[in-house]
Amino acid sequence: MVRKRRKTTPLPLPLPLNLVNGLVIILSATFCTLALTLRLPGMNLDGIGPHWLLVWLVVWSIKRDLLQGVVGGIAVGLLQDSLTAPHPSHVIGLVVVGLITGRIDKKRLVAEEFVSVALIVFCMAALVEVIMALQLSWMGDWPFQDIWQRLPQTALSSAILSSLWTPVVYYPLNHWWDRLRAISQPD
Amino acid sequence: MSFLSRWWGQYRSILFLGVLGLGAAWTVRQTQGELLAELHRVMTLPFQGNPEKQQQLVAAKTWEQQQTIVDLKAQNQALKKLLEQPVIKKKDAIATPIIGRAADHWWQQMLVGHGANVGIVEGSVVQAPGGLVGRVTQVTANTSQVLLITDPKSRLGVTVSRSRDMGILRGQSSKFVIMDFFEKDPNVRVGDSVVTSSLSRLFPAGLAIGTVKSLKLKQTPKPQAIVELSVPIDKLEWVSVSSDGQKTAKNNAPSPSPPP
Repeated sequence: MVRKRRKTTPLPLPLPLNLVNGLVIILSATFCTLALTLRLPGMNLDGIGPHWLLVWLVVWSIKRDLLQGVVGGIAVGLLQDSLTAPHPSHVIGLVVVGLITGRIDKKRLVAEEFVSVALIVFCMAALVEVIMALQLSWMGDWPFQDIWQRLPQTALSSAILSSLWTPVVYYPLNHWWDRLRAISQPD
Repeated sequence: MSFLSRWWGQYRSILFLGVLGLGAAWTVRQTQGELLAELHRVMTLPFQGNPEKQQQLVAAKTWEQQQTIVDLKAQNQALKKLLEQPVIKKKDAIATPIIGRAADHWWQQMLVGHGANVGIVEGSVVQAPGGLVGRVTQVTANTSQVLLITDPKSRLGVTVSRSRDMGILRGQSSKFVIMDFFEKDPNVRVGDSVVTSSLSRLFPAGLAIGTVKSLKLKQTPKPQAIVELSVPIDKLEWVSVSSDGQKTAKNNAPSPSPPP
């Protein structure tokens, strides 16, 4: 899945740099996936931790186009499904996130600050939980009331923690991809 | 002058003792009555029990009760064998570390660090000091995924150990779970302990779950009890997995996901 994404990136980079970039993408996504299962002290609110994969996805798609965002969303969703139960799938919510983040007007984010990225992550984390709650109530296995009672707390905790921990993923990856862009577009 | 020397001759000792007494009291006050407390201890020493002796007595009593439990357990297992109910042998339990928690915010799962290589199968029962934790839903070579009893999708048959009233337990994503009774008027009180019932196909009977915290007997359609789990699941670091007697449960286990 991750390999496929690399092909869609039309960067005329030298091969070794391209390979390193692929490695960076795969490794960072893997680390974010594994970090999902951690509950470090000080990194969770009532058993809910940051949604690392969502942060990764937002960082991935914020400076890429819509299609790349969607593909990223599918890949990340499948990764999360593999660690939890695949029904209902996490793909739907994350694809929507990839879509929206990929569509956000890049020109308004030219002087991109960390604050705006954290804000996007905050909204998207809440959105993902809402979509998940909708899916769960549509499936009908869980008591309807329970789901919507849990939603505000879950969405808020996830949104707060994810946006607070965004820089950990955002700074190194963004820095790396900016460097690559600078190399491929010297003007 | 002679008056003064006479006065001195008469009150010298009293004055001396007075100053000494006040000085002593002041010293005691400055040392926060340290001497007094020590003295108090020495004085009451003959009336204090011997703590070592008492501890020995407690240990002996604990030992006696443990022996009784072991004996009763053995008897119980023999009887259960006669009834052909699945029995967990403590010997076969595998202690395993918890290496991860749920990877999203809805499921209540954990990942433990042993798998098929040591004989864990799907449907194995997961316990911790205090009682039942959950059930293995997925096994790889060296890890297993555990569905916790706090998961809203987890259902298990339980019984109130005092009155044997049965019900179904469902998780609420917190340390409180809900027990739905089968009967309209269950005999249950706050503080009753709840264990897995003998009708449960997924779990052996009699595993401790928790105590009844509050009651909602007017609840429609079924009366409910809020049960507080005895195991602090979110603080656990190790659990024990036992697969004995659960091999047949695999086919009956409703997995959280239909097989692909």
